[in-house]
Amino acid sequence: MKKTISKDGFATGLTYILLSAYSIVIILPALWMVFSSLKKMLELFTAPFSPPVEPQWINFANAWSAGISRYLFNSLIITSVSVLLIVVVSAMAAYAFARLRFPFRVPLYLLLIVGFAIPVHTTLIPLYRTLNSANLLNTYPGVIGPYVAFGIPFSVLLLYAFFVQFPSEIEDAARIDGCDTWQMVIRIVLPLSLPAMSSVAIFQTVFLWNEFSVALITLSDDAMRTIPLGLTTFQGQWTTNWPSLLAAVTLASIPLLLIFIILQRQFINSLAGFSK
Amino acid sequence: MSNGLIPQSLLLNQPARKKRVLAGRWYEYRDAFILVAPALIIFSIFVIYPVINTIQLSFYEYGLTDPNLEFVGFQNYEQIFQDSVFWRALRNNGIILVGSVLVQVGGGVILAAVLSRGIRWGKTFFRTLHFAPVMMSTVAVGVLWQLIYDPGVGILNAIIKAFGLRPPSQGWLGDPNLVMFAILAAACWQYTGYVMTIVLAGMESVPGELYEASALDGANEVQNFFYITLPVSRNVIIAAILITMIGAVKVFDIVYVLTRGGPANSSQVIGTYIYYNAFTVNQAGYASAIAVVLLVIAIGFGALQLRFTRQI
Repeated sequence: MKKTISKDGFATGLTYILLSAYSIVIILPALWMVFSSLKKMLELFTAPFSPPVEPQWINFANAWSAGISRYLFNSLIITSVSVLLIVVVSAMAAYAFARLRFPFRVPLYLLLIVGFAIPVHTTLIPLYRTLNSANLLNTYPGVIGPYVAFGIPFSVLLLYAFFVQFPSEIEDAARIDGCDTWQMVIRIVLPLSLPAMSSVAIFQTVFLWNEFSVALITLSDDAMRTIPLGLTTFQGQWTTNWPSLLAAVTLASIPLLLIFIILQRQFINSLAGFSK
Repeated sequence: MSNGLIPQSLLLNQPARKKRVLAGRWYEYRDAFILVAPALIIFSIFVIYPVINTIQLSFYEYGLTDPNLEFVGFQNYEQIFQDSVFWRALRNNGIILVGSVLVQVGGGVILAAVLSRGIRWGKTFFRTLHFAPVMMSTVAVGVLWQLIYDPGVGILNAIIKAFGLRPPSQGWLGDPNLVMFAILAAACWQYTGYVMTIVLAGMESVPGELYEASALDGANEVQNFFYITLPVSRNVIIAAILITMIGAVKVFDIVYVLTRGGPANSSQVIGTYIYYNAFTVNQAGYASAIAVVLLVIAIGFGALQLRFTRQI
């Protein structure tokens, strides 16, 4: 901050009022969610604004045992495997596009990047038919495959931009020292591009942990459902057990929020910094 | 041995070096294709093939898992033109698009301007808090807001009653005239802070000297905002508008979770209408034709984005 408007106390006051007002808009629903998830059903009607009289942790136990634990496990497997594959596969491709010369380099790159614009809903019907005939519905690979594919365009785009800027002197030095391409990639390029790759990984983790549409058509078996899909199951089942439903929503939101608070700079750079 | 002008070794090396370069190029091709192949194969199976297949399937009539397809030509497309629900869905995408740009980008720019210029402490706190809803899944946000809007337990009606006002009799999500705005509000709650963060990143790259110079000229903060901050962060704001617009074209989760497109299709958007036709009423051919329309619209916006981000 080179200069603030400290001269003008009125404007500063107005600024904080504006920021606080919006903060209240954000906090109020979240606070209501947490309070209500710890209340008895009746309290929701009689005391909608107040904190719970006596925290009903049983609501969380309900949500946990009704399936949240299973959904968390599925989301964890599906997200981590998908993100790992996306990063590896995209980094390989992006490195080749940025660093090597080969026939059809530009058309192939554009082909991958165009996928960025394709909404997943335009592919759901063939995806369902293919997965169905390959007996991949309700399996981890059946959902990981599309996840990796839809993660590729944006990841290749970001990593390509990184590798293009990567100083080639480092690579030349490695070549003079007798490294072949593979040794160079593993010993030099990979360690130096960890920040770019973790940025891609964070972006895809947030996106896939919360992904809904592909999961909705692929995972109908309750034991296979991911967190977002599981929440809609509760939404259908617990039409009168709102405290437990809100406990489920709270539980479902905690993991990412927690990691976000710990790694917030990295998260914000990854999710909102790409427009620069 | 040497003729004294050109070193012998160099002369001898010419053909050998050429061969090595050729061999090197071949290795480079081989390495490149090995590196690109996995991404290309996965992408082809799960994106390119389904997109082409959707276009093909849009000319047929069939149920979702039917092996037998009946060719109907452009009939599905003709049906789209006569289908009032499709136009309603398209209009609803438009409502979300315009509303999101106004609220999320408008609000996001104001919040970012205030955060980047106006305050000395609490910046990280506000940014973290405003960004936090992005970490929740849209499904979680949807379930939460469904309960907020609930006529029985919802906090919104409780607030309105506390002010002595009367909440809408059909409920926020049950009234066809209100439902899109209720959906929009939930979406804006989740994403305004996201847009703010993108724009903030751009505004922080505005050189401080500009503000110092304008202070010498006696400009106030409002003038600064219109004459320095906005013009300099123009590209980031355009990028944010495009991201928001593309999000509105693709919108699905929040509508599905809040209303499933109801009541009586009044909150249907293109995404949910594709899902409804394919997976609920088993008219996969018709759904494919709508999907092709969505594809065309999305590619249009994608091209727009490519054009603008290239300039940035």
